Amino acid sequence: MVRSVPPRWARVLAQPLLAGLVLWPAPARAQVAEVNLRNTLFHEPSSKGSQMTVINPALSLSVMPSDWLTVTGRYEADIVSGASEPVKAGPLSTPDIISQASVKDLRHIAGGGFTLTRRNTRLSAGYTYGREEDYRSHGFSVSTGTDFFQRNTQIDLAYARGFDQVCNVAYPESRDPTLRQSLDTSDGCFTSSAARQALDIDINNFQASWTQAWTPVFTTQLTTTFQLINGFQGNPYRGVVIGPTGQIAQEHHPENRARTAAAIRLKYYVRELRTAFGLSGRGYRDTWDILGQTYQLDAERHMSSWLRVLIRGRLYSQTGALFWSDDYTGGEPFYGPRGQYWSGDRELSPLKSAMIGGRVLGHWQGAKGARNLGMFLSSSASASVDLVNTFLEDFTLAGEKPDDTFALILGLNFNGTF
Amino acid sequence: MRLATHLALTFALALGVASGCVTVRPEQRSFLADPTMRFDSEPADEAALQHVLENREGSFGGGSVEGGGCGCN
Repeated sequence: MVRSVPPRWARVLAQPLLAGLVLWPAPARAQVAEVNLRNTLFHEPSSKGSQMTVINPALSLSVMPSDWLTVTGRYEADIVSGASEPVKAGPLSTPDIISQASVKDLRHIAGGGFTLTRRNTRLSAGYTYGREEDYRSHGFSVSTGTDFFQRNTQIDLAYARGFDQVCNVAYPESRDPTLRQSLDTSDGCFTSSAARQALDIDINNFQASWTQAWTPVFTTQLTTTFQLINGFQGNPYRGVVIGPTGQIAQEHHPENRARTAAAIRLKYYVRELRTAFGLSGRGYRDTWDILGQTYQLDAERHMSSWLRVLIRGRLYSQTGALFWSDDYTGGEPFYGPRGQYWSGDRELSPLKSAMIGGRVLGHWQGAKGARNLGMFLSSSASASVDLVNTFLEDFTLAGEKPDDTFALILGLNFNGTF
Repeated sequence: MRLATHLALTFALALGVASGCVTVRPEQRSFLADPTMRFDSEPADEAALQHVLENREGSFGGGSVEGGGCGCN
């Protein structure tokens, strides 16, 4: 008797399907859903016309059909409006160029994922798609974590992979970077237009974290992050004056960048003050030779059974990239080219910043069997305000210090479970 | 390879020290379980702030992961 054997692909598919069928009939005990609504406003005023405003509304919904499964979907947008300088000139450059171009952009980000939880172990996976007129991104992420030593120790590992594309002028690969001109509009991007091309950006992120409870009122967290980026990393719209006669070329950055950061955080609860104090420090270094350090101090206190208040302060400083120069037309340092790359990106210049802010958060837990606002088992709402001042050490626009160095960040957040 | 070996040894030593020092019993976790003692107790809020700051700085990473070692996940 000849028995028919299913093809190999069918057997491969059948195994996880059978496993799923075995697991599926498990009773859905949790049946909880959580919704999060958030809106963040970033505003950088300027008396010289280079103000910038970004509004970032976001919505996420998580459903827990079972004790071991959480499924999440989310959407957010970045609505950008303002103005920026399309050409970066330095104090020696001729002609003196400080012109503004209006910036309007709308970025959509949608994604989803799931988390499997079993006893002390968690496994998550997710996907995110981002789309704007001149940029596309696909992001995949996986993370896992576990608690042990009576749950006093927690280890988390995460990996994310990004497949991004940025629109640029369709110049031939052989064209010398000094002859490449910047993009003036996103018209024709991601179409069959012969005047545009899409350049790949590959991003790999790794993160490991160790959280440790040392005493009933003291806990620490150590986090390390590695990032590898390969691809076009400049701003395609930005030109830089690179010649004494005013020759302008598109910003030209290295195609590879490896970045690493390590951070330590401490939390200590002072019973007498009924306040939790947090202290953190972070060191950063990358292959563009930027060295950064960040220090943050915060304190959070329950003002009542439902209200808590957080205040925070943050200091940040960084060195400039190896190839950063405020003016590439001089003959030698301080003003002059530094290697084969040029940039007009002030985030690659040496800078310091200081931030101060806080958050007020209210949390309401419904009585047993009762619901807040007629539908939520519990809910919370928060409002935050942060002020950031940036001190640019040697960044100028044709010799003038920019005045868009103060930023206001407002956040509104609502969370509800039902 | 030497760096990887050193990192692995440091990590193993740190875990060993951590396991030897663990004195926080489950019934002592009331403060650790409080949201004010959690790292990133409001992850959406923290992520939005981090998103803004990273767009205005040349550095990246070292961000917190959720949790506080409190067994309340």
